[in-house]
Amino acid sequence: MRPLLAIVLAVSGAVGAGFGRAGLDRLGAGQRPAQELLYLPNGKYLRAMSLGHPGLMADLVYLWAIQYYSDYERGDRYRYVEHVFGSVIGELDPHYVDPYWLGAMILVVENHDLEAGLRLLDKGFERNPQSWILPYLAGFECYRVRDYARAAAYMDKAAGVEGAPPLVLRMRAALMARAGDLREALEMWRVVLADPESDSGARAIAERQIRDLKVRIDIADLQAGVERFSAARGHHPSRLEDLVGAGLAVSIPVDPDGRPYRYERLSGRVSSPAGRILGPAPR
Amino acid sequence: MSTERHGPGAAGALAAIAVNTFREAIRDRILYLLLVFSLLLIVASRLLSFMTVGDEEKIVKDLGLSAIAIFGVLTAVFVGVSLVFKEIEKRTLYTLLASPVRRWHFVAGKYLGLMGVLAINLVLMSAALFLLLLVRGGSPWGLAPALVLTLVQLALVTSFAILFSSFTNPILSAVGTLAVYVVGHLSWSFDLLKARLPAGAPRWICDIVHYLLPSLDRLDVKMQAVHGLTLPSGYVLVGIGYGVCYSLAVLVLACLVFERRDFT
Repeated sequence: MRPLLAIVLAVSGAVGAGFGRAGLDRLGAGQRPAQELLYLPNGKYLRAMSLGHPGLMADLVYLWAIQYYSDYERGDRYRYVEHVFGSVIGELDPHYVDPYWLGAMILVVENHDLEAGLRLLDKGFERNPQSWILPYLAGFECYRVRDYARAAAYMDKAAGVEGAPPLVLRMRAALMARAGDLREALEMWRVVLADPESDSGARAIAERQIRDLKVRIDIADLQAGVERFSAARGHHPSRLEDLVGAGLAVSIPVDPDGRPYRYERLSGRVSSPAGRILGPAPR
Repeated sequence: MSTERHGPGAAGALAAIAVNTFREAIRDRILYLLLVFSLLLIVASRLLSFMTVGDEEKIVKDLGLSAIAIFGVLTAVFVGVSLVFKEIEKRTLYTLLASPVRRWHFVAGKYLGLMGVLAINLVLMSAALFLLLLVRGGSPWGLAPALVLTLVQLALVTSFAILFSSFTNPILSAVGTLAVYVVGHLSWSFDLLKARLPAGAPRWICDIVHYLLPSLDRLDVKMQAVHGLTLPSGYVLVGIGYGVCYSLAVLVLACLVFERRDFT
């Protein structure tokens, strides 16, 4: 074959394949299998299939799960969270702590399913009794829904772990003294983040909790300002910046991604697209 | 197997064949694997910082240890199964056996030479992994027991590769060796099978088969090493002892088979 002909054929093939691939992507975009996770085998079987590499397989499933759950457009995305993080990754590598807390945070913060999140954290703690951060997180999530008795029980469990940092006991006392205070909760996670004894998992949890709490505090403050403004003037402010002019706020905060909070003038409601554990919220 | 010739003569013949096998493997550019391994590790560790949530070091360790084991097994299988066959095909074996070299010298020398290559590969790949972890601010030292037992696994797999290659062609040898590797990593399933069998002879047979096959799964402590879990006292030493004794038995079998093979 002549060189020029070979080059032309190779380039044509590559270009054709590129167009074909783009066409397949375009045509198949709306055909996302609804229950693809249903066919993900239990970790016990994957472990046998891994032929001595269950740790690496757990990592691969975990990385895949992060990408999967970062897509907020999926319909029933919360249906198999416990299965993926607890039964698949947890069985492949029972000592891998990150999937337990990440799965629990997706369930609790995003799906508002506290019981499922606590089950995942309990399973993780049962397999990793040295990981104080798991009952600590469980205690915090109970505290957040004002179930103080359960929160105290989890905090006691965390404090009972050998080698748990003293901040666990300190935070338990502070939280119980000022039950329901978001700023106290924010401070609690800032302490975890700054503590040199915290491992990478504890710091990753703290970063996500701080992000979520900051949004909640900002929204609560702005909402209170709007309500005071409405009570004084008989109408809602036309925009949030009016609160600064009225002396009800020093400045208007932005969310952790640097974007302004949403404000609906008619209802006077302040909101945020945040409350997502994986990746930034859509613009 | 002949027992007439021992001492410096046997040792000299073994060393000459082992060194020659080692040089041959190096000439076959086997060390290019190291380049692939290093690039894989560096690229993967960069990607992980974008993709994962939580502990990146754990994934780098898992990836490094698994890549070392997989590259090692592939080298053992695909180099090991052709070592004897190549010498027969190129007819260099006849020249060799015409000299005062016993057949078992040849088999054992080939084994030792390949183990030398595998050991050097493993040490260099481990050094690359340790360096990467140190640069990232991690602590790689707890991985040492897993790496030692990985080498023991490679010694076992190599002995089977040599055994198969002593009586069959490279394709069948590769299939057989890979089958031993798979079965060795599934040997825990004999415990499940035994629990379902009736007491008496069926369970004894199950036990015998279980003990005859190599327990590669028991030599796999990667997960414990990555998570910093303590191994039972003396576990690594017993593992080394098991691997050395088992490999020796398989190698003796390979020598016996090779001695009885007719090359005329």
